[in-house]
Amino acid sequence: MLDIIDAAQAVVDGVLFGATYAIIGIGFTLIFGVMHKINMSYAAASIGGAYGSLILLQFVDAPVLAVFLAAGFCGGVIGIIVYYACFRFLPLNNPLATLMSTVGMLMLIDETISHVTTGVPLQYPAMFSNVTIDIGQFFLRGDLVFTFVLACLATVALLLLLYRTKMGIATRAVSQQQVAAQLCGIGINRVNALTFLVTGVLGGLAGALIGASIGILSPMLVLPLTVKGLIVTVIGGLGSIPGAIIAGLMVGAAENIFQFFRGVSERDIYVMLLLFAFLVFRPGGIFAPPQGRD
Amino acid sequence: MDFYAGLAQVIGIHTLLGLSAYCVLLTGQVSIAQAGFFAIGAYTAGVMTVIGDAHILTAIVTGAAAAGVVAALIGFPALRVRGLMLVVATVAFGEAVRLLFFNFTWRVEKDGVMVGPTGTEGFRQIRYFPENGWSTLDVTLLIWAVTALVLAALWWMDRSRAGAVLRATGADELAAQSVGVSITAVKVSAMAIGGVIAGLGGGLYAHVTTHIEHAQFGVMLATFAIAYPILGGLSSVFGTVLAVIFVQGFLIEGLRFMGDWRNLLFGALIVLAMNLRPSGLLDAQGLRVLGNLFKRKERGHA
Amino acid sequence: MLEVSGLVKHFGGVKAVDGIDFTVQAGEIFGLIGPNGSGKSTTVNLVCGVFAPTAGTIRIEGRDITRLQPHGRVAAGIARTFQNIRLFGELTVWENLWVADNRQGGIRRWLASGQRIRSEMGEILEFAGLAHRRDTLAGALSFGEQRRLELARAVAARPRVLLLDEPAAGMNLEEVEQLRQRILELRARGLTVLLVEHVMELVMGVTDRIAVLNFGRKIAEGTPSQIQNDPLVREAYLGVNEEADAAH
Repeated sequence: MLDIIDAAQAVVDGVLFGATYAIIGIGFTLIFGVMHKINMSYAAASIGGAYGSLILLQFVDAPVLAVFLAAGFCGGVIGIIVYYACFRFLPLNNPLATLMSTVGMLMLIDETISHVTTGVPLQYPAMFSNVTIDIGQFFLRGDLVFTFVLACLATVALLLLLYRTKMGIATRAVSQQQVAAQLCGIGINRVNALTFLVTGVLGGLAGALIGASIGILSPMLVLPLTVKGLIVTVIGGLGSIPGAIIAGLMVGAAENIFQFFRGVSERDIYVMLLLFAFLVFRPGGIFAPPQGRD
Repeated sequence: MDFYAGLAQVIGIHTLLGLSAYCVLLTGQVSIAQAGFFAIGAYTAGVMTVIGDAHILTAIVTGAAAAGVVAALIGFPALRVRGLMLVVATVAFGEAVRLLFFNFTWRVEKDGVMVGPTGTEGFRQIRYFPENGWSTLDVTLLIWAVTALVLAALWWMDRSRAGAVLRATGADELAAQSVGVSITAVKVSAMAIGGVIAGLGGGLYAHVTTHIEHAQFGVMLATFAIAYPILGGLSSVFGTVLAVIFVQGFLIEGLRFMGDWRNLLFGALIVLAMNLRPSGLLDAQGLRVLGNLFKRKERGHA
Repeated sequence: MLEVSGLVKHFGGVKAVDGIDFTVQAGEIFGLIGPNGSGKSTTVNLVCGVFAPTAGTIRIEGRDITRLQPHGRVAAGIARTFQNIRLFGELTVWENLWVADNRQGGIRRWLASGQRIRSEMGEILEFAGLAHRRDTLAGALSFGEQRRLELARAVAARPRVLLLDEPAAGMNLEEVEQLRQRILELRARGLTVLLVEHVMELVMGVTDRIAVLNFGRKIAEGTPSQIQNDPLVREAYLGVNEEADAAH
């Protein structure tokens, strides 16, 4: 009986943490939806944004929320840099070149972090870390709940941006029919740059939330986060934001459940198997975007 | 002298890694799984010589065969996913292989000593070369014999109809099907061949470094694998070789004085290279220029 | 030679093709025309295996190819050109033809026939007027040359039936005439041709029989002059109007 409670606890914790995976997944999927290319450096940029916010802490004893926002800001800056370095000037019809350049960017960011911090993990501030909410036999970690709530707010803000603003419509237009959008007077480069800015801010925030939930930041987070983010994107369906959200929560929960039953060293094998299962049975993902007939 | 021989060994092994990705990339499949096949070759060959007392050639061929079979098996489900999804699927596969070896333990007693892979600690004491009196030069020659063979085979294939069929599949699958090409056969074969080549490289790698562990075969290595053909250009196998020489020779060894900043420079270099020459060092245009250079030398001035 | 019966294709709720039958005799040049949206392209894709039909069968020389994959249908003897050209842009003209040469035969053929392949391919290049562009990248050809290569490549696949999908699109009258001559020459060499086309000068001038589609159904079939005088056809293309002087 106790085991089930513990297992359920693991699921709940996983879902809460999974909100951060959801954001990373949204970032990957949004860039893919708009530019039809994959930005492999996205997770690295998110962690980089979190690191950047630590710089703020060097100068000012800022409240935690401000640090999170600073992470968002840094993430946005990195996002713009990635756009100009890897997407703006590369030929559209050469996906391999873009893929490779984002991989290079990933290495660059990862190594920069390692160098500046000399590889030492850094503490990251959290809110409500000493708070637990007890619900019957379960307890909810305060900081995880806060992470979850903040992630939800950020996602809602993004959706509002996409569906209620002119910029959002322009972005969605570009993602569906680039040439037609141009003919309607939409500046492609501006839209793309803004997409990177917005996803960068979101990513930086996610990086901060991850740091807060784990308690530390380390360059070792980058590659596993990249892999998980990509898995979430694929399971959710390429280009689908609701898919990324659900997949993020699902992967977060699955990860914790696998760890609960089989331990840390085998956990990731099962996450891979989960991905393979999806690829076999539902290659389009949870919400495959509508296919054209051509 | 030993330094250059050692460098030549690294270049040879990485060329095999790059060529394994070259094959697969030609058909339009971006595979981040090559490091996984490399690992399978490495562990299989290592086990063959250490536990099975096999000859080095038997070992690396077996390793290559094992990797090739797994690659062929992966090739079929890979047909169902395209583009980014294939990237993610192959990343996941590579990671799964790495994690399997992370948990792989097979200890056997030989001459009173326990040998064999030990999960987290890796696989130590793959000492076939020192135990059989191979000098550094001998090993270098073996590696380059294998590499040269693979290079020649791929170069020849590139010039034959098979090469055109591979590239046609990569360019436009529907058009290729419509002129009678079975893209299933082409893509799975390419994946299998890539697996074999990676397996060869892995088997040699295991014996050169004498100690392998799971962490060496991660996403980073897989990234290097596709970086070489992309940086070098997909128009010719020699582009990949050039890229390996440049990266390993110049960047990693030549900039040794820069210490740990090398990886950072590598990342920056990739970004720069893709902006300046997105089709790689030796793209179709570059090849034609080179070709004309040689022709003019042969015929004098027409 | 090519027999299509009861062909149906539904895309969700859309009935793109709703029960089409026609037979192309050996050595015939058979035209398939119809207004936009009539189901011509879908029919082409069904015959070539790009889509699987919802119902119906397709036979070549009596053999049922309905279940075959596209590359299997090429082996069975049918090759096609694409409306929007789909050449292998990074391969040379020669290599584009080479890829299409898919005959079976294995090692012996490979060893013995290098010379024969070269001469056969060379002949096809001459036929398409592209011999001088042999080593040019397909992507670097002019539009007219690309269209000729598209045709040549389909011929290089050694089909019994050649399916041409709007080959005259974007051509001027002189080019259409050259295309007409080429199609006639192909028939003279023993090929059967199914021509899907909008350009009436070509269709009326080269086909033996024509089938007319509208809204996924066949509304008429006959010789060019029969079709030109068919009121149903006129109505499909021009609407009901006694004054219209139709195709001419």
